[in-house]
Amino acid sequence: MNTRVDSRMIELVHVNRSFKRADGQTVKAVQDVSVVVEEGEFVCLVGPSGCGKSTLLQMVAGLLEPSDGGIAVAGKEISGPGRERGMVFQKDSVFPWMRVIDNVEYGLKCRGVAAAQRRDIARTYLARVGLAHVERAWPRELSGGMLKRVAIATVFANGGRVLLLDEPFGALDYVTRRQLQSVLLNLWDEGGSAARRTILFVTHDVDEALALADRILVFHSGRQVDDLAVTAERPRTVDSLLLPDMVAIKRKLLAHLGLEEGSAASRIAASHEAGV
Amino acid sequence: MIATTRARRGRWISVAVFLALAVIWQILSMVYTVEAQPGEPMIAGWQILFTKTFLTLSDYWQGGLGVPTVADGAERSYLAALLSVLSHSADTIGRMALGLLLGGAVGLLLGLAVSWSRWTRRLFDWPLQFLRTLPLLAMVPLFQLWFGTYFLGEVLFVAYGIAVIVFAGAVNAVRNVPQIYIDNARSLGASRWTLYRTVILPAIFPAMRSTILLSLGAGWSAVLGAEYLGAQSGLGFIIVYAQQFAYLDRMFFIALLFILYTSISYWAIGRLSARLLAWAPPSQRR
Repeated sequence: MNTRVDSRMIELVHVNRSFKRADGQTVKAVQDVSVVVEEGEFVCLVGPSGCGKSTLLQMVAGLLEPSDGGIAVAGKEISGPGRERGMVFQKDSVFPWMRVIDNVEYGLKCRGVAAAQRRDIARTYLARVGLAHVERAWPRELSGGMLKRVAIATVFANGGRVLLLDEPFGALDYVTRRQLQSVLLNLWDEGGSAARRTILFVTHDVDEALALADRILVFHSGRQVDDLAVTAERPRTVDSLLLPDMVAIKRKLLAHLGLEEGSAASRIAASHEAGV
Repeated sequence: MIATTRARRGRWISVAVFLALAVIWQILSMVYTVEAQPGEPMIAGWQILFTKTFLTLSDYWQGGLGVPTVADGAERSYLAALLSVLSHSADTIGRMALGLLLGGAVGLLLGLAVSWSRWTRRLFDWPLQFLRTLPLLAMVPLFQLWFGTYFLGEVLFVAYGIAVIVFAGAVNAVRNVPQIYIDNARSLGASRWTLYRTVILPAIFPAMRSTILLSLGAGWSAVLGAEYLGAQSGLGFIIVYAQQFAYLDRMFFIALLFILYTSISYWAIGRLSARLLAWAPPSQRR
């Protein structure tokens, strides 16, 4: 992996975020997280629900401000959203009042790209996600999986070097999820390994993380508790998941999620029970 | 196929109800023959409404087009009556339409302004919420003294009545825009101006549609009320004069015209907005 300083794409330095709940209590959603993501890396954020992984992603997107700490993208401290960071949301974010092609063009239009040029770009990406035939359709006429394809085409068309995906496939059925995983990987790899975009991908699905990631960051109770490199070659197949390294990683992940003994989760649960 | 059959049957039912009401009215006019004053029945049958009553409306013809007015000694005529109905209707409809456009636009802009920034919220929200609670008809004399009784005063009054409703509806609709659309637009690089134009406006449209249909009712009441309380023309003006002489048939005739116009306005705006909502699921287009 490239370790030159200027290849750092995303840098989080001692990032904290707390929320005030309605009952007045403060919840620390993210605590002292420092992460460096290299350019072109595909990083999955994994952890039980409520561990702060989505909050972290929202902060990198600029939709949420850290309570403390700094976030830099491509060497520049961020303040608010920017088009160099595309976001794919868990829920449907496709604008229902625009036709599919207009949705894909949206970011380009915001930037003032000429009509003919942005249409070309949008068509290219719609074709890549397999939706060339529905470019004039209204979003209400598409299935959940197709809407996700539109959202992916939209962020890729917008040309951001960083893509942030917040459990994008969480609500989809198994087959659709697998299809979209390979759609995403193909787009990520479209220009060869040198042109890869940097991806932060939040998921609670361990197998999804293993299939997609170069690196898996594990979170628990707002803290980063592990950083696992996934070295299996691409394209990964069903067999890849059976490699000894992969099984070892999976075991660790399951342990972190509290599904096996000796995990951070079970230790924390145990300490809670002990009243610490 | 089934849907069109059902729609056709629904239309026939409406026609039947309409005819039944007309027949009931006619029967009532024959059964209840009390007169408000000699020659003025409390309930005028259709044979009176479309002949004598209609003819008397030529009294309100204000002249022009070579057709002399009754006040100048001319005979009542169907032509004068028709011109009278058309010109007074045009005044009323014109005031309503301009008031609707003006009030709708101002109410919408102010409603959007409340969410635009902290400053605009402070500036507009409280004063407008206060203005909203004032009883509409109590404001008529004020508007007429400020802006006159012929045109400007009436239009501004209608605009005011519509604007307060559209304002409240817009504030509420903007509040209900799903955050995810706003986040998505911002992360794709939309400026605030672009966000309002391409996301907030279309997203609130389904909710604004019902608000505008609601405000239509208030608008028609406002224009009638304003004309009733001092205008020199319009259908409300005819009602005032008819009422002073207990011409119940004329008042009923004007009321029928009003029902016709309000129905057409609801139908037209409903159709127009449904066309603009082609993107929305059918349940939001009805």
